[in-house]
Amino acid sequence: MEGPEGFSWAVKIGGVLAAVTAMYAFVRRRNRYKKIAPKDTVILYQIGRGPYAPSVSPFALKLETYLRMADIPYENDHSFKYSSKGKTPWIEYNGVKAEDSQFCIEYLNDKLGINLNRHLSVEDQAVARALQKMTEENLYWTNCLWLWVYEGREQMKRLSLLLGMSFLMRTLMIYMIGRSTSKNAWGHGMGRHSRDEVVGIMEGDMKALSQYLGTKSFMMGDQPCEVDCAIFGMLAQIVWHMEGSPHQRLVKEELPNLLEYCLRMKDRFWPDWDRCIMVPGKSKDD
Amino acid sequence: MCKCGRQRIQPPKKMEREEVLSWALKIGGALAVVATMYTFMRRGKRTKRIAPKDTVVLYQIGRGPYAPSISPFPLKLETYLRMAKIPYENDQSGKFSSKGKTPWIEYNGQIVEDSQFCIEYLNDKLGIDLNAHLNAEQKAVARALQKMTEENLYWSICYESFGNDLSRVETVMPYKGLKLWLGTRILAYKIKKELWGHGIGRHSSDQILHIGSGDIKALSVFLGKKPFMMGEHPSEVDCAIFGMVGQMLWHMEGSPHQKLLKEELSNLVDFCVRMKERYWPDWDKCITKPDKTKDD
Repeated sequence: MEGPEGFSWAVKIGGVLAAVTAMYAFVRRRNRYKKIAPKDTVILYQIGRGPYAPSVSPFALKLETYLRMADIPYENDHSFKYSSKGKTPWIEYNGVKAEDSQFCIEYLNDKLGINLNRHLSVEDQAVARALQKMTEENLYWTNCLWLWVYEGREQMKRLSLLLGMSFLMRTLMIYMIGRSTSKNAWGHGMGRHSRDEVVGIMEGDMKALSQYLGTKSFMMGDQPCEVDCAIFGMLAQIVWHMEGSPHQRLVKEELPNLLEYCLRMKDRFWPDWDRCIMVPGKSKDD
Repeated sequence: MCKCGRQRIQPPKKMEREEVLSWALKIGGALAVVATMYTFMRRGKRTKRIAPKDTVVLYQIGRGPYAPSISPFPLKLETYLRMAKIPYENDQSGKFSSKGKTPWIEYNGQIVEDSQFCIEYLNDKLGIDLNAHLNAEQKAVARALQKMTEENLYWSICYESFGNDLSRVETVMPYKGLKLWLGTRILAYKIKKELWGHGIGRHSSDQILHIGSGDIKALSVFLGKKPFMMGEHPSEVDCAIFGMVGQMLWHMEGSPHQKLLKEELSNLVDFCVRMKERYWPDWDKCITKPDKTKDD
């Protein structure tokens, strides 16, 4: 009995070691290359392009849209390098690093004298901040739970296949991110609710965004501003990367102004959209 | 080896007996801690309250020293019950809901957890709508302000209270002795993990304060000169904002949050005092240190 048991344990330990080695090699490979950017050009470190939108991360899409809205010269580094806080995206500008998408924006605003909210009253700026926080600190968690814990895991398998991930990487990624999402969502509080309750919270946030947008072209009026980058970043995931989700169903069936808003942002700031996605020609606008 | 050929059993050496005693003390100590925590939690569950019909039983932790609760969510929920004129009774035995949260309610035998779900349940059950006077856009703004307060600013407050120095929060926790020491540390451990998982805990102290300050200033700017957040009449969001800002004003003495309120954002202080006077005329009976109320 000891023989076969011993062999079984050896196989398990060997499998785990192989997985850890593969991940280590992946991390080392991505850290080997250091990008050198021209002066006064932002290097935007982010994960690779998404299949149907330029990123599967709402924060990366927000930050890159901001760089385009503010006309800041930048280059992408898609080598999967993470910041010292273990987050992505992050930037380097003339040798200075900034982490966290919002801190990156505030840093560049300060450094380059940019103010995309200049045309807003102070009260509107307060409302814009509140809408952004609702989107990024509340709605975001409902997205995460659907994608990584509920039935969206099947969607993630399809998306990661389109991104060319190996079976091992795909399986590891979905398992590990699923576990950490579940743990983080529990700590946040959202993960303690039932699936129906989470969907209810999502619907409340999405309807609020839709009602506030109304018939306006952009969130705060006729001109785009900083909050549009954040809301577009989040809604784009729902429109393009969450096929079959209650989120996407709600947008398409009841909140068409949000869909039109996403298309408007895409047309205005991403004329090269098809060159920035992995599966051009199959963008799910319809 | 003895004459019968069996191996003689040697008694444990003196060194091993000391090791055994050391382990026994460690295990005994750990069991004592677990037993204390279990007793503390069971004591809350032992008595089952029976409320009159059509009366909400509001389960929450004990009263705070300078405001009716040291937690923003029970203060929000209880203020809502008063604003909506719903009959209720308090159960301050410290019982937690099945989701491990507090506060929670029981209404005619129905249990509801999470302060916001409690409000939505009662709104639906009793046909209440404290936002009836708001248009759709105002309701959307109210929701966004509430989410910013409860899902963003809240974490900045948690970090300030439990992140490093626990001496301030110990002065407001409704416990004493070992329960206070243990309860504060267990809560701090849990909250630090939650802060990290949320993401905000990965920032520096200055960055977390910067985030919180941005939210507080946005609340002040939006409130402006209005008596309540959305205008002349109070609405549901006022309960949430009062619950959160009230903690900063009354239970975070010496914190940068309180300093910001008192030195730069006096309209938020006025708002809290207005809500207190309107919905808590018995304020002094609902706090544990009524002679030291810190409105000034």
